[in-house]
Amino acid sequence: MNSSPSPLNSSRFEGCTLTGALSVLTEVRDAVCIIHGPAGCAHHNFSLLHATLLASDRFEIPRLLSTNLTENDIIFGGEEALEATIARALSLSPASIFVLSTCIVETIGDDTEAVCAKPRSVPVIAVPTAGFLGGVFDTGIRNALLSVASLAGPGKGKPGLSANLIGEKNLEYDVDENAAEIARLIGRLGITINLRFVRGLSTHDLARLGSATVNILREPALQAVGEDLQERFGTPFVDSFPTGLSGTCRFLEDVGRACGIDASGAIADERAYQEEMLERFRNMAGSRVSFQTVHPMLGADPVAETVCAECARALDLTVAPDGVFVPFPYPSPVGTAGLRRMLHGWRILIRG
Amino acid sequence: MKQIALYGKGGIGKSTTAANLSAALAEDGLDILQIGCDPKHDSTRMLMHGTWIPTVLDLIREHGDENIAVDDVVYRGFSGVRCVEAGGPEPGIGCAGRGIIATFQLLERLGALKGDVIVYDVLGDVVCGGFAMPMREGYAQEIYLVTSGELMSIYAANNIAKAIARLSRRARSRCTLGGVICNAKNIEGEEGMVAEFARRINSRLISYIPRSRDVQVAELNRQTVVEYAPESDQATVYRELGRTVYANQKTSIPTPLEMDELESFAFEFVQV
Repeated sequence: MNSSPSPLNSSRFEGCTLTGALSVLTEVRDAVCIIHGPAGCAHHNFSLLHATLLASDRFEIPRLLSTNLTENDIIFGGEEALEATIARALSLSPASIFVLSTCIVETIGDDTEAVCAKPRSVPVIAVPTAGFLGGVFDTGIRNALLSVASLAGPGKGKPGLSANLIGEKNLEYDVDENAAEIARLIGRLGITINLRFVRGLSTHDLARLGSATVNILREPALQAVGEDLQERFGTPFVDSFPTGLSGTCRFLEDVGRACGIDASGAIADERAYQEEMLERFRNMAGSRVSFQTVHPMLGADPVAETVCAECARALDLTVAPDGVFVPFPYPSPVGTAGLRRMLHGWRILIRG
Repeated sequence: MKQIALYGKGGIGKSTTAANLSAALAEDGLDILQIGCDPKHDSTRMLMHGTWIPTVLDLIREHGDENIAVDDVVYRGFSGVRCVEAGGPEPGIGCAGRGIIATFQLLERLGALKGDVIVYDVLGDVVCGGFAMPMREGYAQEIYLVTSGELMSIYAANNIAKAIARLSRRARSRCTLGGVICNAKNIEGEEGMVAEFARRINSRLISYIPRSRDVQVAELNRQTVVEYAPESDQATVYRELGRTVYANQKTSIPTPLEMDELESFAFEFVQV
């Protein structure tokens, strides 16, 4: 989809339902994920996940097994192969097992759920992830989050106000920086992070899912997950990580409202912090810029357009067709820290 | 080499017709290969005197397709007819259509698809691409629709005509409709009705097989009629069918009926 060689521009948030689901489920570190399908479905995902782990200096092997279906399994049904692979997964002593379906097993009608439902020593959870059923990457993330949530119990969380981060984009380069930014922002309200759902968790940690004061969704596409968790645990949710200068202040207001606390002091502090940050980029004032998508094949993100226009106004930049080419960020930068990183990039482009 | 396929509604008598057709042609000294393409794997049973021969897919499952020889899958039955059963998965699991494709690929690799006539006996409906395999390039060039005068049976035949019409539009396709065989259920005006249906789909009735007790008696004795009652009228009918099919040069691209045409056709023939 994308011919720009920069890793920041690689489009990791599109593609198969299976990949979306695995980006969540492989972050339950003591689980094993079984991909019920031909070896290739597992291989490509293994490569992507392994490369992503290495890029964040995590020298781990994604815990993926494939049922390695071949033609005979398709003709005679793949349920026996799945049974055998679940047995193999159990021999690795995982705390939980996720079974992900692929296009071919849904087509021939393998009853993945029935095979998973047999009583076993650890939870074995079927996650429907066949790409052809109309789902996309986001559907995979949603289905995976809901599946993992089914393992949550009435566990105790941290005392005091706390928040869960729901559905972080584990494949994005800034995932940990973005979480740190949220921690900084909600810290202004005296709120700590209870659970990163799902990043770097053990199956045991999932017990704490229901004990946060508020759930903070990574993006509005996860609305259904927010609603589901609200219904199950009564936890209110804020539907997105913050984007843009005013958006970040609005985020503080939303989180404050959800937790029943006054955010006006925190917002004033953050505005001052943003001014201080912008001050460092004032030397760009008066420059002419032209915002464009990185590549004609990538559509423009309306949120990114708003964020760019707002920053251009704040720094007195002139947006004109003959201006310096500045790519729209993808995904949109999170919080004030995300904007600072974006503006660094702009300055490099403007100075040539 | 002539390659023909018999299609029609389940239970209409395709396998009985195919086995007797093969038996009659073999008696004329022709080298015949009959391939049953149905997970029920009972197409060639009368030719094999009641023996259930191992199916291609069972052998693939047990031994892997690398370790199978021609003699493992091809069995000689009455009058030297070579019999193959594709077989399939257990009911309710897996993908029988893919099984048919795998069977054809194996038979091709083994060089088993040879002789004077290959008769493909295919399950009731062309439910998916796999069961259309015998109609594809390189396999049967002539399809024969087996039907009675019952409406459901004619409806199924019309559906198969749709598949033939669709496949024949493909560039390299050589699949055509050879004709319609009426396997009678003793319905009033049956022969005329099936002949008219054949005409309306741009084909013709090439054989009328009357209902006969000889068929049941022969099957109870695990034989084809041609073998069990060679002097009977019914055996003569099958021999004539064999000669007609073998000599048939006239095939067509069918023009299947639309649903409303099929309904008005039914009204013309059924006494209400």
